[in-house]
Amino acid sequence: MRFKTRNFDDVPSVLRIDELTVRLADNDTAPPVLDRVSLEIRQGETVCLVGESGSGKSVTSLSVMGLLPKGALAATGGRIELEGRNLLALGAQAMRHMRARKISMIFQEPMTALNPVIRVGAQIEEVLDTHARLPAREKRARVLDIMSQVHLPDVERIYHSYPHQLSGGQRQRIMIAMALILEPQLLIADEPTTALDVTTQKQILSLIAELQEKHGTAVLFITHDMGVVAEIADTVHVMRRGQIVERAPVEGLLRHPKHDYTRELLKAVPSLTPRPSRPQPDGPAVLSVDGLQKIYGAHGLFSRRKTTRAASDVSFSIPRGRTLGIVGESGSGKSTVARCIMRLIDPTDGEIRVADREIARLSRRALRPYRKHIQIVFQDPFRSLNPRWTIGRSLIEGPLNTGAEKKTALKRAAELLMLVGLPDDAVNRYPHQFSGGQRQRVAIARAIAMEPDVLVADEAVSALDVSVQAQVLELLETLQRKLGITILFITHDLRVAAQICDEVVVMQHGRIVEHDSAANVLSNPRHAYTRSLIEAAPGRAWDFANFHELQTV
Amino acid sequence: MLGYIIRRILAVIPVMTIVAVFVFLLLRLTPGDPAAIIAGDMATPAQLERIRTSLGLSEPLHEQFITWVGLLLQGDLGTSLISNTPVTQMIGQRVWPTINIAILTIVLSVLIAVPMGVLAAWRHRTWVDYVVMAFSVLGFSIPVFVIGYLFIQTFSIGLGWFPVQGYVAPSEGFGAFLSRAILPCLTLATIYVALIARMTRASMLEVLGEDYIRTARAKGVKEIVVLFRHALRNAAVPIMTIIGTGFALLIGGVVVTESVFNIPGIGRLTVDAILARDYPVIQGMILLTSGLYVFINLIIDLSYTFFDPRIRY
Repeated sequence: MRFKTRNFDDVPSVLRIDELTVRLADNDTAPPVLDRVSLEIRQGETVCLVGESGSGKSVTSLSVMGLLPKGALAATGGRIELEGRNLLALGAQAMRHMRARKISMIFQEPMTALNPVIRVGAQIEEVLDTHARLPAREKRARVLDIMSQVHLPDVERIYHSYPHQLSGGQRQRIMIAMALILEPQLLIADEPTTALDVTTQKQILSLIAELQEKHGTAVLFITHDMGVVAEIADTVHVMRRGQIVERAPVEGLLRHPKHDYTRELLKAVPSLTPRPSRPQPDGPAVLSVDGLQKIYGAHGLFSRRKTTRAASDVSFSIPRGRTLGIVGESGSGKSTVARCIMRLIDPTDGEIRVADREIARLSRRALRPYRKHIQIVFQDPFRSLNPRWTIGRSLIEGPLNTGAEKKTALKRAAELLMLVGLPDDAVNRYPHQFSGGQRQRVAIARAIAMEPDVLVADEAVSALDVSVQAQVLELLETLQRKLGITILFITHDLRVAAQICDEVVVMQHGRIVEHDSAANVLSNPRHAYTRSLIEAAPGRAWDFANFHELQTV
Repeated sequence: MLGYIIRRILAVIPVMTIVAVFVFLLLRLTPGDPAAIIAGDMATPAQLERIRTSLGLSEPLHEQFITWVGLLLQGDLGTSLISNTPVTQMIGQRVWPTINIAILTIVLSVLIAVPMGVLAAWRHRTWVDYVVMAFSVLGFSIPVFVIGYLFIQTFSIGLGWFPVQGYVAPSEGFGAFLSRAILPCLTLATIYVALIARMTRASMLEVLGEDYIRTARAKGVKEIVVLFRHALRNAAVPIMTIIGTGFALLIGGVVVTESVFNIPGIGRLTVDAILARDYPVIQGMILLTSGLYVFINLIIDLSYTFFDPRIRY
């Protein structure tokens, strides 16, 4: 693993945050959201701010931009200094002049960060319109120039495109172009690659590094991903509950973490080394899929749209008590397969057998009794539970539908909550009273309340912090041991797949390109696409949990 | 795009056919002898016979329908039973005041309501927001005729700024039209201002929470540009829907205001026709209002593609 080992001792500082304190606007008694945060970024330096959700990383960056949500958060103490001026003391107009000229920001979600009804060329141009007066011809030339600097293909066409006509990676390039067109001293990147596929992430990270080199920009990079930190950081600051608990050059931090929390965080990073393989059980497959196919846009009375093959010729089977992972990037068809198996959508062709019953062709009505055999846990626990229903009501809905008594169902619900590690009195509470990890436990309890043979986990840990992720993975594992349940685990994250799967299926463009044991797929990938996925995984040469290079056997 | 417009226009045909069938049957399927219903209790047998022949009621139903549609397609809606003038001519004389009033009302409403809603959303949960919302509740709750008489009392009788009643066509002098139309339009507008302001506020609140608004602010764009260039266009689709429905409802629902302000529009024509059981006129009115309704909906649907490039059919 090669780290950046640049020395910034003599380099002038660009941004200096001094004892910054941010509080809830109308609540002085609550603990501060940011508690005396100090950090410095020097010319050309990349400073990573790492921490879990709610640690105050984004609040720090928004404070620098002067974009704290009005009426909700307010900076109550400290200084943010750029070019000798205290940004906190600037008026609204003066602050507006700093943005894009001196400090720029790119955001996590390129899908939503661009205005959907304005052409992207015009959106970049708006930065020039706001801060400089240029003749139309020169303006356009500068926009096209920055667009080619971020390596967008066919810039003339993209200039006239709307955001929805571009891919996620292209949109993030547009964001970067927009942020850097006026060559600001400081670029704040708030989880800029979290929503992207690994291969795209790799490209965007190297693009940021390239432009940083070229323009000498200082970068404040906010992330929760230690792999990304290992790849790009010069200096790392670890945040927890509004405080910076540790700061160090990247290599020092990864090798010799001092603070307990940092160690905890690093230990929770799932390893790319696959788990020890379990003995292959004999016995028939609980779930088997044969020649599954899903084509979109095939019929329609008036439409002559092109058809899309979301999945073609997908076949696999899982025996009882085993976990099969489907890995792939967005658009690979992995979620389509999961939804077909759940019969949330109807497959175009192929067979799906759950506990020896062919369900691909059953009508909705005939399917109902078989629904209980196969249950799903979704990605986002904040949206998959009805916010107006008590946990108990969510848990017993399924059993009631299949004819259980309300009283016994409620008793069972309390037991299930204990089983997933929640207090049994949680039945009477509402989802908003729980954290993300706890909600995902509820979602798992809801799924196993039906006593299914197969549990489909569709990116079930992707929205969770690493430490919580580890706990939920462990819970799934325990449940599998206790109940002998079969798990189909859909994920984009190779590290997670390595931790939980016995077998891995790699999908690309709706097809299976590789299917083998987890150990073989991860350490001896045969298909070029699998190799590129593994190579793109950030920090893959580092063993985070053990604070040293990965020992290759 | 062109294909979509054509398909959307073709879709109007079945809708209007259903309306036509309904309008045709309205008279024919009324229980009892339509001629007797039309003529009233005091009619002589000779009068009944005259009505029967004029409506062609003695022929079989399907033949009547074919004849009726044939005439309809030639623009012949029949002749009024009371005044003996062609229905098209009667409507033609009365429709323009109503449409002019409706257009002015909607323009006024939009000009007042959209900035109000934008402001309320921008200053969410401040006194500005509360004032706008309070006004909106008030606009919903006060009946139209109360507002109408209140305006007349204050602005016409009290201050003497505008004439009390009456109507002058814009072609005969826009100033004269405006001075007479402004009070009825404001009267009608109150409820639409309330409605559109509320919808604008709700829609803007949602949009202002979006990531691209934060992006715009991070670019250093002025607040006014953020609000009107970035946010409003994204918030436009539900607002347009409300405006369209409002406009269509206006055409059909101006009866009270036209009576209060003594405007010779189709609202009063309809009322008079109903009171006099002038069936051909009633039929013509139903056809006209539903036609306008369908037309306005078409325009609104087409406007969505202008506001949001993602809408492609």
